[in-house]
Amino acid sequence: MNNLLSIQNLSKSFGGNQAVDAVSFSIQEGSIMGLIGPNGSGKTTVLNMLSGILQADSGSIKLENRSLNGLKPSKLAKLGIMRMFQMTRVFNRISAFDNLLISGQALGLSFNDSVAKADQLMQELQLEHVKFLDAGELSGGQKKLLEFGMCFMRSPKLALLDEPFAAVHPKMRETMVNFIIEKNKIGHTFLIVSHDMPIVQQLCQECICMSTGKVIASGNTKSVLSSPEVIEAYLGDDHV
Amino acid sequence: MIKTLSISNSKLWRNRLKFDFWSLLIVLLLMCFLPLLDLSDYTLGILIVAMYLAIVAMSWNLLAGYCGQFSMAPAAFAMIGGYIVGLSDFHAQLSLWISVPLAIVGTAILGALLGLTVTRLKGPYLSLTTLSFAEISRVIISNSHEYTRGDQGLNVPSMMNDRLSYYYFFIVLVLLTGVFIYWLMRSKLGGFLLAIRDDQEGAESKGIDIVFYKLVAFTISCSLCGFAGAMYGSFSQLVSPEMGLLQQTGLVISMVVIGGIGSLTGPVIGAILVYLGSEWLREIGNIQMIVFAFVVIIFARFFRTGIWGFCLGLKQRLLQNHHE
Repeated sequence: MNNLLSIQNLSKSFGGNQAVDAVSFSIQEGSIMGLIGPNGSGKTTVLNMLSGILQADSGSIKLENRSLNGLKPSKLAKLGIMRMFQMTRVFNRISAFDNLLISGQALGLSFNDSVAKADQLMQELQLEHVKFLDAGELSGGQKKLLEFGMCFMRSPKLALLDEPFAAVHPKMRETMVNFIIEKNKIGHTFLIVSHDMPIVQQLCQECICMSTGKVIASGNTKSVLSSPEVIEAYLGDDHV
Repeated sequence: MIKTLSISNSKLWRNRLKFDFWSLLIVLLLMCFLPLLDLSDYTLGILIVAMYLAIVAMSWNLLAGYCGQFSMAPAAFAMIGGYIVGLSDFHAQLSLWISVPLAIVGTAILGALLGLTVTRLKGPYLSLTTLSFAEISRVIISNSHEYTRGDQGLNVPSMMNDRLSYYYFFIVLVLLTGVFIYWLMRSKLGGFLLAIRDDQEGAESKGIDIVFYKLVAFTISCSLCGFAGAMYGSFSQLVSPEMGLLQQTGLVISMVVIGGIGSLTGPVIGAILVYLGSEWLREIGNIQMIVFAFVVIIFARFFRTGIWGFCLGLKQRLLQNHHE
């Protein structure tokens, strides 16, 4: 497999707080990578830099050897990097179906192609019964599924998912997991930030653990989750 | 089959917009019959001014109601549009056929230049910057006696001889503005504006260049205001700095809020009712502003979707009862 995304020495500080400190890793095409770590470890800041919401102080981000530094989120989305937020960001005052249509058209699909794709995604994500409700009327889990769909209106090269399973009903979580597995089977690449370790173990072949802005472990998910540094970061040194 | 079912539901944006547009046509059609009531020239004049304000309200609604950008300069751009026509006549004796397109293009360019600054701002900062622009432009016009004749205002040539012709002419102008905004909001640009209104960061991360599309909305809205101001100048045969008073912007905002923000028909209904109301309350002087402020507070607190939203809710309930 080829490297899809390479990150070298990525750093970001806010005032005196070094949120991300010289982080380097790469994601292989067609893989599912987990990004774990305790709260405040810098995971979301990394995703914010990868999706263009924040600009890195230093370091490089490359997608298939093309530098992404300084690009706006909209440009990155068009290049195939789609972001799903921890606090869902859907368009509340229009129908769920319109949310998908707008996302499709923003990514360059025609209206008719967007309708066809939106119908397909509504079925896959089991949202058909709510597709004409305003997005603001959906439950938290349904909104997450909807944002999932918005990211997949045009096959992304890399989907960045920030806490997709947090506060979601188990049935919907299952739908999401199956969706990720199915999309991964046809070659989609994912970077998933999650605190849900069983799901991380189930989905991610590889995993990175961050603590206080640094990568403290990376590699095979099972070995990362059992590494003493990771256990210490999550539970404190009494449990090592 | 699925495609047909999906795009035929009335809750889809395109279909909501279509219903809104048909309602606007009905309102304008009803207005066509009003002169049959043997209205006086004075009443016709009030209705013409109400329709001028309706165009400004529709333009502001494009920016605020559909795109979530609360500009405080709609009246200022109408004043600038009016002054472009007035100055073209006063200094160069240009005909309205040239000066009105000049007003449209001039306010679009000015709007784009202001937009380049304000579209990167959010919330109160955007409002404060446009408010400052509005006041600065009004003061400049008011104090440039040599060119603008200051508070005396400038004469503008008339297009028609009688008020009834102007009345129908303004109905056509409101219709054209409605058709243009309908066409715009039905296109993908319309969807992008709604997305920006609902969540700017979310819209950008889904591939929408928010600065560019906000700039487009800002430019079009300012240009439509300029067009309305130019047309109003031709009707009243006078443009003065009073057209750009902050009070006028307040009136436009209250028209949109009372009529129904984020709709095509609401601003038109609001403009007619509020302006008729303001004429009715003219006798009590400035106290009328207190009355309007109070009505806006009531609407903002209890009827956020305005008269149009109230009508839609009523329709929804009637349909539900019918199905039961």
